[in-house]
Amino acid sequence: MNSYYAATLAVYAGVDIIACIALNLQFGVSGIVNFSFIVFQAAGAYTAAVLSMPPDSAYGGYQTYIGGLQLPFPIPWIGGAIVGGLLAIPVGLVVLRKLRPDYQAISLLVLSVIANSLITNARTFLNGAAGIAQVPGPFSNQVDPLAQSYQLLYVGLTLPCVLLVWAVASRIVNSPFGRSLRAMREHEVAATAIGKNPVQLKMTVFIVGGVIAGLSGAILVGYIAVWAPSVWLYPETIILFAAVIVGGRGNNVGAILGALLVPVGFEEATRMIPPTIGGWVPPPNLIPAMQWVAIGLLIIGFLWFRPEGVRPEPRRVFEGAPVREDSERVLKS
Amino acid sequence: MELYVAALGFGLISASVIAIAAVGFTMQFGITNMINLAYGEVMMVSGYAAFYVNQAGVNIWVAMIAGALAGAALSFVLNRFLYTPFQRKGTNLIGMVIISLAASLMIANLMLPLVGYDTSSYVIDQGQLLRWNGLVLTVAQIAIIVVAAILMLAVHGMLRYTRLGKAMRATAANPTLARNCGIPTQRVISVVWLITGALCGVAGVVAGMDSENFSVASGAGYLITIIAAAVLGGAGQPYGAMIGALIIGLVTELSAAAIAPEYKQVVAFAILVLVMVLRPQGMLAKRGALAAAG
Repeated sequence: MNSYYAATLAVYAGVDIIACIALNLQFGVSGIVNFSFIVFQAAGAYTAAVLSMPPDSAYGGYQTYIGGLQLPFPIPWIGGAIVGGLLAIPVGLVVLRKLRPDYQAISLLVLSVIANSLITNARTFLNGAAGIAQVPGPFSNQVDPLAQSYQLLYVGLTLPCVLLVWAVASRIVNSPFGRSLRAMREHEVAATAIGKNPVQLKMTVFIVGGVIAGLSGAILVGYIAVWAPSVWLYPETIILFAAVIVGGRGNNVGAILGALLVPVGFEEATRMIPPTIGGWVPPPNLIPAMQWVAIGLLIIGFLWFRPEGVRPEPRRVFEGAPVREDSERVLKS
Repeated sequence: MELYVAALGFGLISASVIAIAAVGFTMQFGITNMINLAYGEVMMVSGYAAFYVNQAGVNIWVAMIAGALAGAALSFVLNRFLYTPFQRKGTNLIGMVIISLAASLMIANLMLPLVGYDTSSYVIDQGQLLRWNGLVLTVAQIAIIVVAAILMLAVHGMLRYTRLGKAMRATAANPTLARNCGIPTQRVISVVWLITGALCGVAGVVAGMDSENFSVASGAGYLITIIAAAVLGGAGQPYGAMIGALIIGLVTELSAAAIAPEYKQVVAFAILVLVMVLRPQGMLAKRGALAAAG
């Protein structure tokens, strides 16, 4: 295994971990089924791309896009995160206020499909179906992007982001705010009755998730240097859902585990499939199609046999909680 | 002006296609409480079933029966072996939506190696071109509108005047109470999946006839339009879905004439957003999309 391969794997793992932590905050902890998660990642990626690229005239007109501000490193990533969060505000205001949870889910699914078709058809906005290419990565003007040292540098830039996101997410999950989120997930009416505002809680976590998703997109686009509608079709969100369900909903360790098992581990495992099986050459599209079937089976199988995932959410018990005998004695007296 | 009259004609055909599909979708939701996101893919399976029968030299209107049968069989199997077991297990609404989306992904990708990525189209005898005050329609297109009208009347008659329809409405209103009154709700639900599956199958075929060509990837687009029509009318309301389909069909085709055909779905989506902001319960339903109170 060469170091280039290892670095690629590390960056992809980092991006998937960040995305899964964000989705887990929304879906696992708060119960928001964000079927348009990938749209927020895409928003971050497009933003980071157009912030770091030169104006589109620099490419001789083969791609057209807005922006092209050529800003130095941390700004595109921060910009991607901010746009991810900003996009979450109008979407959340429409979807999360009044609708039933299953309606929220289908509305977000519809949004995901439509956003993709809108960007595909509006060619001058972000170069349509062809997508944006030759996105310069951070420091690519100082270090040769093809050199091995650049690969290490990129891993070095990704890792702190993963740690930061993990720290923030852990902080949220373990805080009183996280408790409110879980209370809302378990029983929204009861949570409302004790004075929690579910719309406010959902909006907050939706925006936080949007920020993190935007960051993950920004990191990814700097590394792969291209971004097109075909990489953020709605089934991509389902992979992340599969990851969170397999890993274990509601806890960040489960989300990280899921990210390593499904998007990373799965891709790597299918890479091992030999090009010919006993003299039979599978048609070129068969394996990707079967990968998707397997993702579907993984979701259905886990929801049937082990809905809590590989690493279940820990049961949280309060130190001061009354034990059963105590409460019975109180009742009798 | 001529352009808009012609667009009105296309709108009527679109509305017919959407109405057949949306009524099936909304009945599944209203009676079995299941948002079946695999609906678009079941349409594609039916469309391809009819395609192969059509390729074998059978007239497309006869092949449509094969499509209906395929849709009914697949929907029945989906419900019997996937959705019902999970519902019995107590999986919540959100879980069911995720399961149906996973099912949709699986059906699409099981189809791909079989039918391929290329687009297909039916062999149709479009018949004579009929003109009337600027409306230009072929005989085949008028036949689609007639099929839709007959199916809508049939659904109306079934729900309104038959024992089965009454049992369906009772099951939709309150399944527990219906069961206590001696209605075999499980059997009613199975029949609902057969009937709505057949509607879905016919919809898949007429959608393929209406568009120049179709591929496995068309399923997602169909689903979006169907959801828009069903939500606009008030989910779970067959009559609402008919009205919703008419509005979505006409508005999208007129907007295609006014703006650009690529943005048809975006216009449908804009209507959907407006409905969700202004009247999330849809036009007919009393509650529908709104969160249950208390």
